[in-house]
Amino acid sequence: MIARSFSLPRTSVVAITALVVLTPLALIFWQSFLNAPFFNPQRHIGVDAYAFIFADADFWSSLFNSIVIAAGMVLIALPLGAALAFLLTRTDLPGQRIIEVLVLIPVFVSPMVLAFGYVVSMGPVGFYSLWAKQIVGDVPWNVYSLTSIAVIAGLTHVPHVYLYSSAALKSLGSDVEEAARVVGANPLKVALNVSLPMTMPALLYAGVLVFFLGFELFGLPLVLGDPEGHLVLSTYLYKLTNKLGTPSYHLMAAVAVCIVAITFPLVLLQRWLLKTAGKYVSVKGKATRQKLLPLGAWKWLALAIVALWLIFTIVVPLSGIALRAFVEQWGEGIKLGDVLTLANFQQVFDQSDQVRAIINTFLIGTIGGGLAVACYTAIGLAGHRQQGGIARVLDYLVLIPRAVPGLLAGLAFLWIFLFVPGLKELRNTVFSVWLAYTVVWLAYGLRLISSALLQIGPELEEAASTAGASRAQVMREVTLPLIRFGLLASWLLVFMIFEREYSTGVYLLGQGTEVIGSMLVSLWGAGAIDQVAALSLINIALVAVGLAAALRFGVRLHE
Amino acid sequence: MNKPASKLVVEDLHLQYGDNKILQGVSMTLSPGEVVALLGASGSGKTTLLRSVAGLEQPSRGRIAIGDTVLYDGAGGIEMPVEKRNLGLVFQSYALWPHRTVFNNVAYGLRLRDIPASEIDSRVNQALTNLGLSTLAARLPHQLSGGQQQRVAIARALVYNPPVVLMDEPLSNLDAKLREEARAWLRELIVRLGLSALVVTHDQTEAMAMSDKILLLNSGRIEQQGTPEDLYNRPQTQFTAEFMGSNNQLPGRVREMADGRALLEGEGWRLWGTARGALKAGDAATGIIRLERTRIANGAGDNRLRTELVTGMFLGDRKENLFKLGAMRLRCYGTPVPDAGGSDCYLELPQDDFWVFAAPATSAAAAA
Repeated sequence: MIARSFSLPRTSVVAITALVVLTPLALIFWQSFLNAPFFNPQRHIGVDAYAFIFADADFWSSLFNSIVIAAGMVLIALPLGAALAFLLTRTDLPGQRIIEVLVLIPVFVSPMVLAFGYVVSMGPVGFYSLWAKQIVGDVPWNVYSLTSIAVIAGLTHVPHVYLYSSAALKSLGSDVEEAARVVGANPLKVALNVSLPMTMPALLYAGVLVFFLGFELFGLPLVLGDPEGHLVLSTYLYKLTNKLGTPSYHLMAAVAVCIVAITFPLVLLQRWLLKTAGKYVSVKGKATRQKLLPLGAWKWLALAIVALWLIFTIVVPLSGIALRAFVEQWGEGIKLGDVLTLANFQQVFDQSDQVRAIINTFLIGTIGGGLAVACYTAIGLAGHRQQGGIARVLDYLVLIPRAVPGLLAGLAFLWIFLFVPGLKELRNTVFSVWLAYTVVWLAYGLRLISSALLQIGPELEEAASTAGASRAQVMREVTLPLIRFGLLASWLLVFMIFEREYSTGVYLLGQGTEVIGSMLVSLWGAGAIDQVAALSLINIALVAVGLAAALRFGVRLHE
Repeated sequence: MNKPASKLVVEDLHLQYGDNKILQGVSMTLSPGEVVALLGASGSGKTTLLRSVAGLEQPSRGRIAIGDTVLYDGAGGIEMPVEKRNLGLVFQSYALWPHRTVFNNVAYGLRLRDIPASEIDSRVNQALTNLGLSTLAARLPHQLSGGQQQRVAIARALVYNPPVVLMDEPLSNLDAKLREEARAWLRELIVRLGLSALVVTHDQTEAMAMSDKILLLNSGRIEQQGTPEDLYNRPQTQFTAEFMGSNNQLPGRVREMADGRALLEGEGWRLWGTARGALKAGDAATGIIRLERTRIANGAGDNRLRTELVTGMFLGDRKENLFKLGAMRLRCYGTPVPDAGGSDCYLELPQDDFWVFAAPATSAAAAA
């Protein structure tokens, strides 16, 4: 197929993508080199903002905390995730099918909700803490310490490592392992000398990914770090607003640029790792049935460890929220039976902004998710079967928002909606939140679309071209119908991601733009625990609906 | 390399997945220095048999032994782990470890046997030289051509002197031209190094060229075993006759029998042939003759057919002709001699080369 790579529709798709991706980032960058907010007439160019934050001890301590937490996450998530992948793909561990679904829950539950769950279950007066106190006389843990934050973040990121390493293990042809057995290696040596080195690129990739996600962390350190004053870069940025009393946009922009300066190289590193991993993909052997390693009596120990992890990362926080949503108050000496109530939900439904938040969240997931998938599809098709120029431009355009944490992207979009003439009207509609969400999740969405597009053999499209169809007709009549199911699956996944998102909406929160995620951050700040609990449970319910639908229709929950 | 001293013996091997019976009682032997080909269509169980010997599949009963070493015994509950069997296996996909260099791919088996580093060096280099790979030792598998990868896979399987080398379709990943050269090369290597090899293939020419003995498998059973000449020239069943070589098939009915010969009759023709298996007058039967034994004759005569020439195909070293007789099509090599300027030709099917097999029960019923 001769690629006419400068057709009008494709060029405009690329131009619009470039506009929505680059403008916010450029604005942040420019703002960081001003000494006052950019709309202030007295502003001038300089490095005052950087000078201020570099002189601030809090900045350095939050950078240090971010590094400690990110490193801790890698140390915890990498071995556990790899072990979990091995157990679930290569051994006869009982209950694999259920575990495979449960493992993914932390990916789809908002970290803000999870963090809140840990506070109400394991905080100083949490449900489980008080029960533990009754038994051992003291609360044997402190969820507010830096170590706890790193441990919780690490354990909740095990699924990310699991996904990449299990995919690598599954694609590893059994013939290379059999070859090692035949030349005389026992199963342990096969695992150490063949399977592990061959999945190493995937593990390395997952490690870098988790480290990167450590710098993006916002909800967990916001909720858990607050009581003892542990700041990380993102919460430092968030708290800057209160630091000077006035809108200190230039300082926030400077911190944002510092964060991107760390995350962007990590994104590039991930990309490079993914490419070099390609050379380990050997000649594909015949897909013979994989012989599962019998664990014998060890399987109960393995199952116990997996169950313990599931209890800690899913059952404990979610059960805490579920309980807290139905009690008036909780503390020492209170009997559960006395305080059961539905009043928390009553409160939520009495507040028009919270009702709007629920409706907006639902709309942004369903209609907004559908529109976002349409946009991702347009971009995916623009780069489909394209070589050179345009494909490479799109490739990098998509990477950029990946490196910008949601909190920063929301901030940049706020500025754009506030100060670009003609957009002010849209600022107070949920459109602004939708646009920010769509851009933040661009890389994720596009990965879904391109994995659907990859399933189509090029010869199907070539056959249509040969029969006389134009490029547009090929897309309409061959490509799109073939990825139909993939698009529906993407919609479901994007729905769940949009329900879960919280940090992107934080700065966009206002009358008309409420979503549950940002509402939770705001209510948590105001100390409205009852409503946080009720809204969290509603949020979990929305995600659960998406998850149930995805399972019902057999959607693969990861690419 | 050492001459292996013991014999591979497989006795009454059965293997099934659920209700799907893959092997239904296969017995065979492989003497030292011998090459045995496992030949069959896909699904015949040939690869499963090979993998059972290697220990990669679990038979349900039977026995596999090399000399005094029992690899598998269903009755005795013995199943030696794959890595203890000390066999060499060349995978169809080659299964080279992509993260190891050519040298380290070959050396791995020796390292697992705790052989001193200096000896590993010399043995790997010897193996690589034997296979013409000495200049490629430092390369990674993805930097090699298909033919080179195949040779690395063979070197890896030979380097620790296994008593038997197992090869699973060793030539099938090479393109057609390369395959013929590799076939000759592999046969030379096997003879030069005195290997005992069990080779799986679906190509009868490959099987005949490479092996001393062929086992033809059909649906998990041995259809016939013997030397390549046996199978090609003295097939015991119609399946064997049809599997080996290119044939003309003439379905008909036996009209009469006379001392080991059968007169086969079809629509508008009658031919005498050699009876194979139990036949009696009135049975439905099929006559089979190799293309190269079918001769063009220059006139009417005994065991000759008058046929119409449809077309000729030039194949380079010879010419193949297609003839028509009623609904039947016959092929043969040579230059056709049309009769009296028309398009009709006479074909001779010599009695000794024209085998008459009883038709399988189902098709006999359909014919009746």
